[in-house]
Amino acid sequence: MRELRELAARLLEANDVQVVIGWEEWGRGVRPAFARTLAEADRLVFDQRCVHNLATYLHPRRKHIRRLGRPAVVVKGCDARAAAGLIRDNQLRREDVVLIGVRCPGMWVEGGAEGLPGDRKWADRCVSCPQRTPTLCDHLVGEDGPEPDGPGLEAQVERLQALPMAERWAFWSSAFERCVRCYACREVCPLCFCDRCLADKSVPQWIESSPHQRGNVAWHLARALHLAGRCVGCGECERACPAGIPLSILNARLQQSVRERFEFVASDDPSVPSPIGQFRVDDGQEFIR
Amino acid sequence: MARIGVFVCHCGENIGRTVDASAVAEALRSHPGVAHAEDYRYMCSDPGQTLVREAIAANRLTGVVVAACSPHMHERTFRKVASAAGLNPFLCEMANIREQCSWIHDDREQATRKATAITRTLVEKVKANAPLDTIRIPIERRALVIGGGIAGIQAALDLADGGAEVVLVEKESSIGGHMSQLSETFPTLDCSQCILTPRMVEVAQHPRIRLYAYSEVEEVSGYIGNFEVKVRRKARSVDEALCNGCGACTQACPNRKVPSEFECGLGKRPAISVPFPQAVPNLPVLDRARCARFMALRKGIAKAVCGKCAEACTRGAIDFGQEDRFVTEKVGAIVVATGYQLYSIGKEQPEGEGLSGYGEYGYGAVPDVIDGLQLERLASASGPTGGRIVRPSDGRVPKRVVFLQCVGSRDPARGIPYCSKICCMYVAKHVMLYRHKVHDGEAVVFYMDVRAAGKGYDEFTRRAIEEEGAIYRRGRVARLWRDGEVVKVQGFDTLAGEPLLLDADLVVLATAVRPQPGIRALAQKLSVSCDQHGFINEAHPKLRPVETNTAGIFVAGACQAPRDIPESVAMGSAAAAKVLGLFSNAELEREPTVARVDAAHCAGCFLCERVCPYGAVGRREVRDRAGRVLKVVAEVNPGVCQGCGTCQATCPGKHVELQGFTDEQIYAEIAALG
Amino acid sequence: MAAFQPKITAFVCNWCTYTGADLAGTSRLQMAPEVRIIRLPCTGRIDPLFIIKAFERGADGVIVSGCHPADCHYNHGNYHARRRFAIFRDLLDFVGIDPRRVIFSWVSASEGGKWRDVVDGATATIRELGPCRTDTGDEGQGRLACAS
Repeated sequence: MRELRELAARLLEANDVQVVIGWEEWGRGVRPAFARTLAEADRLVFDQRCVHNLATYLHPRRKHIRRLGRPAVVVKGCDARAAAGLIRDNQLRREDVVLIGVRCPGMWVEGGAEGLPGDRKWADRCVSCPQRTPTLCDHLVGEDGPEPDGPGLEAQVERLQALPMAERWAFWSSAFERCVRCYACREVCPLCFCDRCLADKSVPQWIESSPHQRGNVAWHLARALHLAGRCVGCGECERACPAGIPLSILNARLQQSVRERFEFVASDDPSVPSPIGQFRVDDGQEFIR
Repeated sequence: MARIGVFVCHCGENIGRTVDASAVAEALRSHPGVAHAEDYRYMCSDPGQTLVREAIAANRLTGVVVAACSPHMHERTFRKVASAAGLNPFLCEMANIREQCSWIHDDREQATRKATAITRTLVEKVKANAPLDTIRIPIERRALVIGGGIAGIQAALDLADGGAEVVLVEKESSIGGHMSQLSETFPTLDCSQCILTPRMVEVAQHPRIRLYAYSEVEEVSGYIGNFEVKVRRKARSVDEALCNGCGACTQACPNRKVPSEFECGLGKRPAISVPFPQAVPNLPVLDRARCARFMALRKGIAKAVCGKCAEACTRGAIDFGQEDRFVTEKVGAIVVATGYQLYSIGKEQPEGEGLSGYGEYGYGAVPDVIDGLQLERLASASGPTGGRIVRPSDGRVPKRVVFLQCVGSRDPARGIPYCSKICCMYVAKHVMLYRHKVHDGEAVVFYMDVRAAGKGYDEFTRRAIEEEGAIYRRGRVARLWRDGEVVKVQGFDTLAGEPLLLDADLVVLATAVRPQPGIRALAQKLSVSCDQHGFINEAHPKLRPVETNTAGIFVAGACQAPRDIPESVAMGSAAAAKVLGLFSNAELEREPTVARVDAAHCAGCFLCERVCPYGAVGRREVRDRAGRVLKVVAEVNPGVCQGCGTCQATCPGKHVELQGFTDEQIYAEIAALG
Repeated sequence: MAAFQPKITAFVCNWCTYTGADLAGTSRLQMAPEVRIIRLPCTGRIDPLFIIKAFERGADGVIVSGCHPADCHYNHGNYHARRRFAIFRDLLDFVGIDPRRVIFSWVSASEGGKWRDVVDGATATIRELGPCRTDTGDEGQGRLACAS
């Protein structure tokens, strides 16, 4: 996209940033790109294949990225929410990054639907996205596109919730059993920034490390809980998972939970605190005797 | 290697009847890590304690579990025994096999099995216990009292008489608070100034009290025993060292038309003034907003204007260039005693408090409708009318005064659902003051209830009705409006069952009591919490009325809730007693069951800081050898942490551990279940 | 077949529920013996991980109990716990772990009778729901199975 490439070039020339993190063509798809020269900036692209959440490169564990210098990052709606999450959790200072917002049309996944080029459909998470165009950004490029349509993540959550409990357990237990504990979900997530993850703590070992159903259930429940009120719905965890565990649905269920209970929807405003860590005197307690 | 000692108590029949204590000891003898196990009839008795102490030494025990009653009974006892034997007291735990086992089951086999399981669980916990040392914090034996009203004055005097140094900060020009504005006090009808001013003078003259009047608290940092307070000493435009209080400047000032705040707007004062004759300190304040010289300066007029006060001053004490100064005081404890203000029925209300005015009472614009403090000024011998109760509009003596109770109070629709406590009493007092001065005057009181619960209070209100002839009408007033010379009062008497339309010469509203403006900002500076109305929160509504939940900060008087004078005085003394108790130790000793952050792994997200109820979590920079900041991590102040552990449950990586209840210890207890 | 003896772990706060349980004992209120209490300073200290671990280690049910809202000894530990548990419960239910196996209550220091009711009620519920952990599978190591 010309607008994006020109902006990236301007930022690099002015030495306002030393690297522009965006996407470039790679095979049939795209991959994250780290443009440090004008020639590299000229290769930047943005379209419905750009699923990666580039905000993940902003958290302090990515020391190799930090060494590249002050970054500009191209952010979709979900990516901007992740950047806001990092600012909120004191992992990033707003002034240390230039955010290039992009009007996100929604991302494609393989699947098939009528009326769309190739055999692609809108990602469920994009149908459910609360805000595809970022507010938290220094620049805004791109054009509005058609609204993504489809059942969305809520439909998947509802479908599962409506099943009898034993079937829900069968679904999730077998999903978790496939987990090989590669932690790709954790590594790709922008908001999993702990230097030493709870799962790596052995004294005491709250989460058993071997890929056995028992430890796997504990791992996924713990991670979902740690993301409650923080998950931005970018879907990267599910995309990265080699075992096809439907993590977006798990996280979406908790997004629904915080929305219904605490009127909280993830936004890219870093001054809005996460609901976990806050409380109201009149919070619901129907489940407490 | 763990060498745990298990001591099972029979507690006479209390445990022994349902639990086979010897069997429990026998079962634990073969439990991994147990080096010694025995049972005894009364473990807490002298011989029992001796038994434990000697066993610790003889068996080189590294931990102790006493299976007996609840730890709430005897944890302290057995921890002392462990200390005496040279074992760190936090390596001793109690297994509750009485209240939570032998007393609630009657099947001996089941109860014994459960007692064994409970004891095993605690043995597993103790294996993960770490020795902990009492935390000792030095204490600065000086106290800050914020607010120089009667509560603050009482606290300051009791503290100073108790040997502590006191810094008293008062935002007005003089101490005394609202009590100095009152004419007489209930239930004794003592002259308020007469009982107050000797105390005020005592404060000024006390060698251990440093008084900063016309000053405000700017910043507070630190923690219990070690606060650092920055005080802003506002510019009076008068050099305190030179001024001798002669008052020549106030006489010379040509602008005599400024509405007096002390007189609640019913009198006037000059631009440079002392609030009242008995002011302590007796120093004037130049009101730069009203001073002609400063008004000219603000308009950009170059030539100096007026300056008559400086001319009149024989000591050269007027200093037009004076600026606010800052002083820093180190104190070990803080008492908040900022008092109250009265609610206004006007249209304009402070934002965000959910308050609204009384349109039906004219939003404060109807002449001859005043509030309680204004009546006090009228009744005061040193007030704007020399003690004559007259109508502000025309100076005539009112022949019928109507008093309205509960204006604002007990009215959730206006944002004030609570009762202001003092109004029923002061209305009865106002009735008496009026009737004493206007013998043929009629006093009518519209009330919902008459709350007179203190000592001599009910007798006082009965006196107002029976002896002073006050007419008490049970009901509310729907509307007040001006009609010619009178104020029309439209109300209802629910006991007589009749509507009333009265012509009042003067109407006095008993308006609600609220905390002072700026209380929320002050509370934030102190890290104390306020309730939804702004009143400072006490630590426990029943048992800790003068403490707040911030260690080292206490509260007294009407800033905590509507209070009368005896209560405010009592709270001032109580707060002083608490502070003196704190100061009576060489060092502050605290239980070491506090949280500790693992700085090596802390990710610096500060969720812990957000959830800590006490503000005990701060931030610390971790630097490398060259001094470069590597990261900022959380740090728990062991002087402030109360040991709830919410931080740990909130921390995603468990990088903060609550000593005494660490993850390892709890894991051990959970795992022992099987 | 022997009657199923449920194993129930109770995480309780020291100031309210633990004291309430002591009061139940002082009052000699008889109750079901299957509950094992783990004492913590505050419900705010309770992590959902404790509950998951308890199930992994053989608990068939878990009780979590603390001070009533506004009465927390540490001001608002229980408010934070309340939000945490609400989310946890939604998650358990969604994943198919029967939320009836985790019983939450507010029991004050004066509510010995209520503690007895909570204990007896929880025991009856768990007895009905049956054992949680199924000891089948490789190396005899149990898989988690808390659906009913």
